[in-house]
Amino acid sequence: MSGYDGPALVSATPGTMRKDAVRRDTNLPPMGCRMDGMDTRGKRVPEPGADPGGSADTKLDWLLVQVARGDQNAFEQVYDRLAGPVYGLIRKVLRDRAQSEEVAQEVLLEVWRNASRFDSAKGGAITWVMMIAHRRAIDRVRSVSAEVQRDQKSAVAEAALSPDEVAEAVEANLDRERVRRCLNSLTDLQRESITLAYYGGYTYRQVAGLLNVALGTIKTRIRDGLIRMRDCLGVGA
Amino acid sequence: MKLLRQDPHTLGGAYALDALDNAERERFERHLQRCERCMRDVRDLHETATRLALAVAQVPPLQLRERVLDAAARTSQNPPVIDQHPAAPARHARARRHAWAPRLVGLAAVAVLAAVVVLGFRQAATQGRLDRVQAQEQAIETVLNAPDARIVVHRTSGGGTATAVFSQVRHKMIFTTAGLPPLPASKVYELWLLAPGSARPAGLLPAPTGGRTAPLLASGLASGDTAGVTVEPTGGTSKPTNPPIVEIKLGPKAAGG
Repeated sequence: MSGYDGPALVSATPGTMRKDAVRRDTNLPPMGCRMDGMDTRGKRVPEPGADPGGSADTKLDWLLVQVARGDQNAFEQVYDRLAGPVYGLIRKVLRDRAQSEEVAQEVLLEVWRNASRFDSAKGGAITWVMMIAHRRAIDRVRSVSAEVQRDQKSAVAEAALSPDEVAEAVEANLDRERVRRCLNSLTDLQRESITLAYYGGYTYRQVAGLLNVALGTIKTRIRDGLIRMRDCLGVGA
Repeated sequence: MKLLRQDPHTLGGAYALDALDNAERERFERHLQRCERCMRDVRDLHETATRLALAVAQVPPLQLRERVLDAAARTSQNPPVIDQHPAAPARHARARRHAWAPRLVGLAAVAVLAAVVVLGFRQAATQGRLDRVQAQEQAIETVLNAPDARIVVHRTSGGGTATAVFSQVRHKMIFTTAGLPPLPASKVYELWLLAPGSARPAGLLPAPTGGRTAPLLASGLASGDTAGVTVEPTGGTSKPTNPPIVEIKLGPKAAGG
């Protein structure tokens, strides 16, 4: 007689958790918004094969775990991977270069300070960081926008993802092009609502006011549009 | 009151884009705690928003890097938050258990894992015993470079998480933990390789720094083994005297779905 024979309190059987792994390992065809390869629920069917994106996510999650242990070298690697996305998003929302730099620094430092609070139950590391970046950016823009009222036309134009911007942006890749294609596959109202809310930093109430559309309509257009984006980009497939 | 009559699910999109005002956001977050489906939906929509974010990435100003890294070196880190929503513990625990799923390690990731783990190990080794540590570094790299290397993260019954990186081909495992409940000086966490009818001691978890234990290397993995951790008297025991606070099955990834 040897060993422990009591009840298994917590059992991690890798096979039972496969779903998440599959999700992360899902690859997408390079052209984005094709309608084939969908299952009956309209979700993209994962294609077999390797996926550089999936392992990149795992890598970043792991790096963040090391950052939470106070590992400055790991933080440097996190910085090198995420400073561009963080700064770019903040710049898109705030426009002003000096302010964007200041907010980006706050956000990246918050990643360092709060790495131990990263909870993968709510999404991957990159989503966690981009949520912090977006919230800090809109906090800033909303505190300022009380003074500066933007008119509808310029607001819509500024929030749009222009082809120029796509071309100029760092390390042009298929992902960026795919986002643009997917945005273009939405109705005008869906696209404008989403870009005004996310890139413009407006609440959906403000979006309704800017576009002169009923509140309930905007709410559902944002949701429907985002779901279409999700399926077009293959998120969660 | 009018809001309560609306279907809260339609707010998920606006929530994921941070397009709710503060009061609505708080209300929606309370709803999220009671709605597992919504949590999954919102998770996917947040990921979708992330793609929108990545599409506008820009080269950051050069001086930002030094400023951020300098500031980090001078800034202390916050401790983990164990549970922000004690109102619905059972549901929350279930959702978390699902989400702390094992991750399959892509081959490309393994090389980076190696570098990172070895680095963590170097840091832990500054007190001396460098030769032994260097040997362990090599062993860790062996695990991470194995063709069947896998990483599994799991919560423990006492709180916190355990992470196992292992290879059956190499018969080795690296084990780390985060946020385990602190123990009195008379107790220690002991790692085991468990199989039906046997338990082989696999080492004592080192004292945590910042709530996390440095990687512990275990050898002699056999197929069908489960990694387990128990609380034992200081110095450890040759057989577990308490039930494990976590068990991680060290099997290959499941075939199919």
